[in-house]
Amino acid sequence: MPEVKVVIAGYDLITAYGLGVSPLWRGLLEKKTCINNLRRFSVKSFQSVNAACVDGLTYLKNKSLALQMLEKVFARNNLGIPRDSFLILATTIGEIDILEKYVLRGRGSARGSVVTNLLRKTGRLAKIKVPGMVVSCACASSSAAIAQAASLICNGKKDSVLVAAADSVSEFVFSGFSSLMALDKKRAKPFDKDRSGLSLGEAAGFILLMSEERARKERKKIQGEVLGWGLNCDANHITGPSADGSGLSGAILKALKSAKVSSSDIGCISAHGTGTLYNDSMEIKAFRKIYKRPLPAYSIKGAIGHTLGAAGLVEAIVALMILQEKVIPATVGLENIDREAKGWVSLFPRKLKKNTVILNNCGFGGINAALVLRVND
Amino acid sequence: MIKTLGVGWIKKGKCGLRDKGLTYKYADLKSLYLVLKEKGIFSFPVENFARFDQASKLATIAVGLALYDADFVYAQGKKQDIGILATNKNGSLDAQLAYFKDYIDSGRTLGRGNLFIYTLPSSPLAEAAIHFGLTGPLLYMNFPDSAKNIRLMVYAQEMIRAGQAKTMLVLKSTNQETACFVVGAL
Repeated sequence: MPEVKVVIAGYDLITAYGLGVSPLWRGLLEKKTCINNLRRFSVKSFQSVNAACVDGLTYLKNKSLALQMLEKVFARNNLGIPRDSFLILATTIGEIDILEKYVLRGRGSARGSVVTNLLRKTGRLAKIKVPGMVVSCACASSSAAIAQAASLICNGKKDSVLVAAADSVSEFVFSGFSSLMALDKKRAKPFDKDRSGLSLGEAAGFILLMSEERARKERKKIQGEVLGWGLNCDANHITGPSADGSGLSGAILKALKSAKVSSSDIGCISAHGTGTLYNDSMEIKAFRKIYKRPLPAYSIKGAIGHTLGAAGLVEAIVALMILQEKVIPATVGLENIDREAKGWVSLFPRKLKKNTVILNNCGFGGINAALVLRVND
Repeated sequence: MIKTLGVGWIKKGKCGLRDKGLTYKYADLKSLYLVLKEKGIFSFPVENFARFDQASKLATIAVGLALYDADFVYAQGKKQDIGILATNKNGSLDAQLAYFKDYIDSGRTLGRGNLFIYTLPSSPLAEAAIHFGLTGPLLYMNFPDSAKNIRLMVYAQEMIRAGQAKTMLVLKSTNQETACFVVGAL
């Protein structure tokens, strides 16, 4: 599909490992988890007491958690984001702690939590003059936003698009996932035979996408290429994916087709891998429909938790690191590989043998997104 | 050529189909749903309709009206390559307030899952997609300016041109009206 080459010209992020890509990459290779005791609010009534939170954020004070994370990311000098970039903000519910503050303390306005406000604030932090838009489609939000950005560039509508993403661990979200019985009591163990749920996490970051021409004109180092994407919906159940993986496999097929690559070109799979019984089983079934033999697959959610609307962006950055370093990290938290996942996931890091990877995200409502990324050797 | 193939709309007390020129009056969304079911606009019952939040009820009815206006037939178990894009002013603010106030009122110990699932702005679209078997891209988008509807139409057309779906639905909601447009190739 792409007529114009869509390249990645920059990225940065903050996760529970800290600010920047290096601590995240190091943590993944060291199989270190950031999922620890949550002290931000009382968790004694909930299904779990753990989450992966960013250090040094204040809760229910002046600024929202999402804004504080974005401020730290954009405060770094020399990010080199052109002022005429189009901004796409990906989030599930953005600054929900503003609404919490309004309900709990009667301070501010609930309307302050509406996502277009965070879009404006992000635009100011990134020093962008184009207003842009918000994309929200549950936990596939940022991979869908990257797909939209790439689409705008490849059809010639824009030549520089900044995709920013942020979601945080709040009492609102934690109580909600706990009520759905979706949390692992201890720590998420994606693709483990004893997995029992997800762990929540928080993150914020950005990816700068450009046409190859614009990137060369701006003298940007090309960090990777978005080759293709696929978006769809299971149309199955509001909280459960199609158990046979037919929904996700449809999105993967669309992505491969739009990237003009075959399944045999893919070197590894960045799985959604939440650690819930149904998601992980469904994903492996989807992979089996597409790939003739098992490919290296991994999930980072046992390390930094499920960062919801930011998950796809963080996972795309990790995928770029894998493409650059030629190493696929082990799945953090995994101890006993589930029978279904044997041959796909690993307890140890592996070598990447190809220059193309695919990443998948799945969200509430059966929303699926797949992205194909490449780094030319 | 990509065109608008049908439109369904809902205002306070009445709803209608643009191309067929039909309008229906209603007292509440539950009675409207029953009337539309009787008229064949819903070809089979919408599962858990009574438990939907207000935005999901409006989205599902508007999609039903629009597909009927565009002569799209749907059936239980049959899926179609149709996507949905939607926008409104405040996302899922009403559902978020409903969930969190209920959680606080119940002693801050356990939220109600059935309220939590509607706190995402994409959930009303997902409910409509599940009933009508719509398997195309599903995205909630919001813009800081007033040209939301036009922008959404352009994105829908681009998605069709790029082969991401054969047909797209564009759903926009304001305080006064919810409208759904069926966009596709003639």
